[in-house]
Amino acid sequence: MSAADLNLLQRPNDRLRRRRLVNLGMEVLAWLAAAIAVAILGIVVWSVAKKGAGALNLDLFTKSQANASLFGGPVRQGLANAFVGTLIVVGLATLMALPFGILIAIYVNEFAPRAIKSLVGLTLDVLAGVPAIVIGIFVFSLIVVAHGQSAYAGGFALAVIMLPFVARATIEVLALVPNSLREAALGVGAPRWRVTLGVVLPQTIGGVLTGATLAVARVAGETAPLLYTCSLVAQGTHWNPSQPLQTIPVAIFELSESASTDDQALAWAGALVLILFILFASLGARWLATRSRRKMLGAVR
Amino acid sequence: MPRNGKLVRITLVTAAAAAVAVVAVVTAGTASARSSSGSVNGAGSTFVAPLVLKWAGPVQQALGFQLNYNPVGSGGGVSAITNKQVDFGASDAPLSQFSPTCTTCVQIPWALAATGVIYNLPGDQHLHMTGSVLAQIFMGKITKWNDPAIKKLNKGHNLPSSSITVVHRSDSSGTSFNFTDYLSHVSHAWKTEVGTGTAVNWPAGEGEKGSSGVAAAVNSTNGAIGYVDVYYAVHNHLGLMVMKNRSGKFVQPRAKGILAAALLDTHPAKDGSLSIVNPPKSKQYRNAYPICTYTYVDVQKSSGGNAANIKKLLNWAITKGQSYGPALIFEPLPKGVVAFDKKQIKKIHS
Amino acid sequence: MTSLDVSADAARRPFSGRRGRLGDLLLQGAAGIAALGALVLVGLIAWKVIQGARLSISTFGLSFVWNTTWDQVHNVFGAGAFLYGTAVTSFGALILATPIALGIAIFLTELAPRWVRGPVTALVETLAAIPSVVIGLWGILVLGPALRDHVNPVLHSVLGFIPLFGPPGTYGSNVFTAIVVLTIMILPIIASISRELFLSVPAELKEGALGLGTTRWEMIRGVVFPYSRGGVAAAVILGFGRAIGEAIAVAQVIGAFTGISINLFHPGNTAGGQIALNAQGASSGLETSSLIYLALILLVFSIVVNLLAQFIVRRSARRLWTAT
Repeated sequence: MSAADLNLLQRPNDRLRRRRLVNLGMEVLAWLAAAIAVAILGIVVWSVAKKGAGALNLDLFTKSQANASLFGGPVRQGLANAFVGTLIVVGLATLMALPFGILIAIYVNEFAPRAIKSLVGLTLDVLAGVPAIVIGIFVFSLIVVAHGQSAYAGGFALAVIMLPFVARATIEVLALVPNSLREAALGVGAPRWRVTLGVVLPQTIGGVLTGATLAVARVAGETAPLLYTCSLVAQGTHWNPSQPLQTIPVAIFELSESASTDDQALAWAGALVLILFILFASLGARWLATRSRRKMLGAVR
Repeated sequence: MPRNGKLVRITLVTAAAAAVAVVAVVTAGTASARSSSGSVNGAGSTFVAPLVLKWAGPVQQALGFQLNYNPVGSGGGVSAITNKQVDFGASDAPLSQFSPTCTTCVQIPWALAATGVIYNLPGDQHLHMTGSVLAQIFMGKITKWNDPAIKKLNKGHNLPSSSITVVHRSDSSGTSFNFTDYLSHVSHAWKTEVGTGTAVNWPAGEGEKGSSGVAAAVNSTNGAIGYVDVYYAVHNHLGLMVMKNRSGKFVQPRAKGILAAALLDTHPAKDGSLSIVNPPKSKQYRNAYPICTYTYVDVQKSSGGNAANIKKLLNWAITKGQSYGPALIFEPLPKGVVAFDKKQIKKIHS
Repeated sequence: MTSLDVSADAARRPFSGRRGRLGDLLLQGAAGIAALGALVLVGLIAWKVIQGARLSISTFGLSFVWNTTWDQVHNVFGAGAFLYGTAVTSFGALILATPIALGIAIFLTELAPRWVRGPVTALVETLAAIPSVVIGLWGILVLGPALRDHVNPVLHSVLGFIPLFGPPGTYGSNVFTAIVVLTIMILPIIASISRELFLSVPAELKEGALGLGTTRWEMIRGVVFPYSRGGVAAAVILGFGRAIGEAIAVAQVIGAFTGISINLFHPGNTAGGQIALNAQGASSGLETSSLIYLALILLVFSIVVNLLAQFIVRRSARRLWTAT
């Protein structure tokens, strides 16, 4: 074989080698990207866990933030007021958003003509895309300007954020209920409302709870909507929802800018509890989702 | 009954219980708000926070109720008291500086202290500084520590060639008001380009929230300069600048300097405000520190059920409370101011 | 059968009397009002934000958008510096996050061994669940100082000829830290949507390409990417929308500087950050109104971005339907 022929044989191999090299390079980059994501999560969670665990003690839950700071006042290092406030504000938000969201989902799935269905769906998507800080400003303009800050205002702001999540989750779960079920119930003469509330909805409880839990996990950590609606708080532990109450995310936001290591430790501890709660709620929601989906698929036999 | 009837029942019961719980909490909360609360709640200035937080223990002992204070900054304090969300608001800038402001409040000067200029350079140097050089630094015109203007004031000190990192307040702050008021007095350029205010268009530097935020930033940044209530500087072991007053003397922000400056204005105006910034050249103010300020507490004239406790607190604060001041570099109020305050407090009713 | 058909069917069946009809009316009425309420809510948001901004709009008009002053003493306010900051941080985060997110999606759909896929997917979604205030806290106390001490000087010495990477100074809180923080926040959004898109590419198309002798990367580049082009574009746009609306984490790490600085290692501010930082009492009614004007600009941008993403998704879905 001449040198020229050998050349011909080599060139495609060179090209192949180059292509394989490029492929290898890209695969390495993809592995790297995944490693970066895992590393970031690991670093953040580890930082929070390490610094938060130090301040994690019973005092955190029983003592309030009142006067807990640099200056040698009675040192009451705790976030009790923030925990109570978050419970009340998020509780109010859930009370407002859940029925509203379920009703919207019922309308979209059971009663609405197609055009309205897509319009409401679009509205929910637009609502979900509004930045949280703008929703805080909206509630400020709507309620706070006239009546001052309060846990009600903060709860309402969080409810506006929760609404698209709850509605969308419920719509998806309602759509999963087979029409044969509705047909059968209507067939025995039950009125529409009976069918929806008594037959269809109970099938979806798992999914609705999942959606609600995920929504709660999401808004428990929201700071922006509370800044203009529920942040000018007095420090002790209060329960009155017509006053602004301290919440965990707002407490972390304020403490994070402080010089004192005590304040910062409190912030880390609060962040740790918040992350644990969110992880717990998300895992619980996921478990509920798989369980209800299994039940749903089992029902269609 | 559908197959997951049990789950439905459990869910409904839990939801009902949760709803009942929330309703109970809400009613309890509203009820407790109406009765007299055994606590006095305030919010506002981070400048006066060291003193107010120090008062909490003695107040509990002497007066029998809890004093809660949230240092959100003067702007937040005025906002809170204007909207009646707290029992008192604390601000280092007079109410006239804010808009909207509390038109139905009494303004009571209740503490007296100084704004320190803090910096972070290796070695405990106690640098000398004048107002006009300071203004140029905060305007971004002087950017290095070994600038000739600074070197001239500090002959014999080894100033590094590093950059000056300016740190200022990002929130609405009475300390900013005091500081910018001083800079406006000593620098015509500052007065026209930037001006005086609780928040201004800072020409240079980074913004931090609260006095503690500024202290933290200066503490962690080599070559940084900032301004805070003096106690934050002392507590964090930060360098404090020795400022030149109009009599030509370089004065530290300590008791002597503050008391001398307070002599400038001993009769509060009708709205309760006083100005003791940059005392003029005179034998009387020879030892005055030029960046001193009174700080005020604002209370609604009709304060509802808690008025009695609020009045007790204020009367205690301007008399016995002042004794806790000097350890925190707050100086006792002059007699004339105390007398004025007592009259203001009488205007508060339920 | 659609619910429409069911309801038509049901209309022909006998109700259990008047009570049934009343119940139906009540339920449909309540649900309909709720749905109407959602529409009204969006309109209400727009109206109330415009109303709050009215004072500032009438004082400054459109020039508010490019004026870079924010002066409480002379009562002149403008969004210019903040919109610049929003643009720089959002685009910067997008440039950093998109390749990494696509890499993660490729890893999860093509490269990862099966037992790794589930956990890593869960990890990426957990990253999305971390509240912004916690990322901001970590940013101030851990990331900012680490970047300032170890990364920024290196970047400046290597890339210093570009004005973006000017002298790092001693600021821990600066635009670059904000970009990194935003990258971390939008990474999971783009990654999880892209992953689902890549999963939906028909296996026959992929196997066909591999059968022709392409390397895996060439298959991804030639089949997966073009197939999911629309969806990935929408994902990137959604990530961008998230970035421009982020206020809290940015406020904590960006240094609150009002002004335009090319140097990324200098403090800056964004629209969301400025609104968040001034929550505790603006100094005048005009300043409050100007903050709401800023929020209005953010609202308009986020709705436009959202609708754009929806439009792209719908268009590419239609193309998909016609193609298959």
